[in-house]
Amino acid sequence: MIKIEDIHFKYEGVYTALRGVSIQIDQGERVAIVGTNGAGKTTLVKHMNGLLRPQRGHVFLKDRDTKHMSVAEIARTVGLVFQSPDHQLFLDSVEKEVVFGLRNLGYSAKEAEERCHNTLSRLGLEGFADRSPFTLSGGERKRVALASVLATEPKVLALDEPTIGQDAKQKKLLAELLSEMNDAGCTVVVVTHDIEFVVEFFPRTVAMSGGLIVGDGKTESLLSNEAIIDLSSLSAPQTTLAASALRKKFPEVSNRITSVSDLEEIIVRLVGGL
Amino acid sequence: MSFLEVFQYTKQDSVIHQLDPRSKMVLAITSAAISLMFLNIVPLLIILLCQIPILFLAKSVRRWLRSMKGLSFLLIFIIVFNTLLSTVANPFSYSVALTIRLIALMTSFSIFFLTVHPDELSQAMIQMRIRFEFAFAMSMAMRYVPTLAHEAYSIMDAQKARGVELDKGNLLKRIRNMIPIIVPLIIVSIRRALSVAESMESRAFGVSQNRTYLKRLEFQRRDWIVAFFSIAVLLYLIYFLSFFGLPDWMLWGFSF
Repeated sequence: MIKIEDIHFKYEGVYTALRGVSIQIDQGERVAIVGTNGAGKTTLVKHMNGLLRPQRGHVFLKDRDTKHMSVAEIARTVGLVFQSPDHQLFLDSVEKEVVFGLRNLGYSAKEAEERCHNTLSRLGLEGFADRSPFTLSGGERKRVALASVLATEPKVLALDEPTIGQDAKQKKLLAELLSEMNDAGCTVVVVTHDIEFVVEFFPRTVAMSGGLIVGDGKTESLLSNEAIIDLSSLSAPQTTLAASALRKKFPEVSNRITSVSDLEEIIVRLVGGL
Repeated sequence: MSFLEVFQYTKQDSVIHQLDPRSKMVLAITSAAISLMFLNIVPLLIILLCQIPILFLAKSVRRWLRSMKGLSFLLIFIIVFNTLLSTVANPFSYSVALTIRLIALMTSFSIFFLTVHPDELSQAMIQMRIRFEFAFAMSMAMRYVPTLAHEAYSIMDAQKARGVELDKGNLLKRIRNMIPIIVPLIIVSIRRALSVAESMESRAFGVSQNRTYLKRLEFQRRDWIVAFFSIAVLLYLIYFLSFFGLPDWMLWGFSF
């Protein structure tokens, strides 16, 4: 779906954000991108929808080089939800805000309205349709921004730090929504620091540090790898920490545990089964 | 946004940077006033030619050129519209003069803003007996110009990702396309202003009436020279214009 070949990107000045990054994301995958602040995560996702263009290397979308495609063109396939909702909300009602993006992408007024209502109800925002986004709380504004992208039903959905400012319940709803989209064939890419969110919902993780990809693979093997955890300034998932605490007493406990169910299984085994 | 660069302080080691901000303020105001006294191409060009050596001394010519390039769209726009709509005798000549005057005015103030650090500016204002709160607000405003520009870029990115095509369509469409940029920019700025105010208050801003300052500015000989010279030129030009008027060769203009 998305193939990135050895891209380099340097922001004006001395700061280099990407120093040769290659990654391939297939249709229907769920990928989390994690890493230190300033590792180049946001820069990488901005390359996926053409907001930034590689200074060296190529970005392919469905085997087509995006070099000559406009952002608006790419936006039909790749939807990007930004970290700060305040950078995109400008209309006086939530409904208009969602319809705006749809109209830009060429949907008829009727279809845009229909999609808008579906999306709002999916995100639990039905009651907000006529409210001004500026009267909403930070977390609610974030969901409006998400709705405006979701409504376009992109083939690839990229989200930059979607869990910030969301309470546990909203986080769970978000995860369910993403899983639902994913089941329907949508590729989901998420940039996040929320390691527990990654462990539970993302089978594949990409770890970045200093403009390079330092690890790419199965979430459980990546996040239980101390070198990678250290390189990308993450803290290991709670389950892995619990497992390594158990291992001090019971050496047979695997050092590859990240999910709650694995940990549960081990504990059950240790206490002699049920 | 690149034209804003010319109003942004840049750290340089130059004669102009070392001047007292107050003498530079006199220089900026007098040279702006002089630019406003003329509406003919020749004298305005002479003014501009006198300003460029100052930019050289401030080691900022390249920056200035870059900003002018960023502004060229607006300048051409002014020339075209004035030529088409103006009712004066030689509209083209008139609008070229207007444009040069705008450049000269901008250059006058850019010499000031390029070389005066926001802290120096507020200190100068305080020493000119302006209340600390106002001086501080002024230097804060200057401090946030680059932040605002950065924010504007992020907003443009966010809107582009929603399919807004900023650089497509006719003039009217492009102007309408600015709405999704300007509204979030204003809102983000207001939100930030409120949170900055809160954090300032929580650090006891404005508690003490008589505050002291680490650095005080002092007028030196070179500052007196600059200030005196600027005012002298201005007075001389006023005298000359009111008693003699412009010589014929300075009145030259295009005949259309």
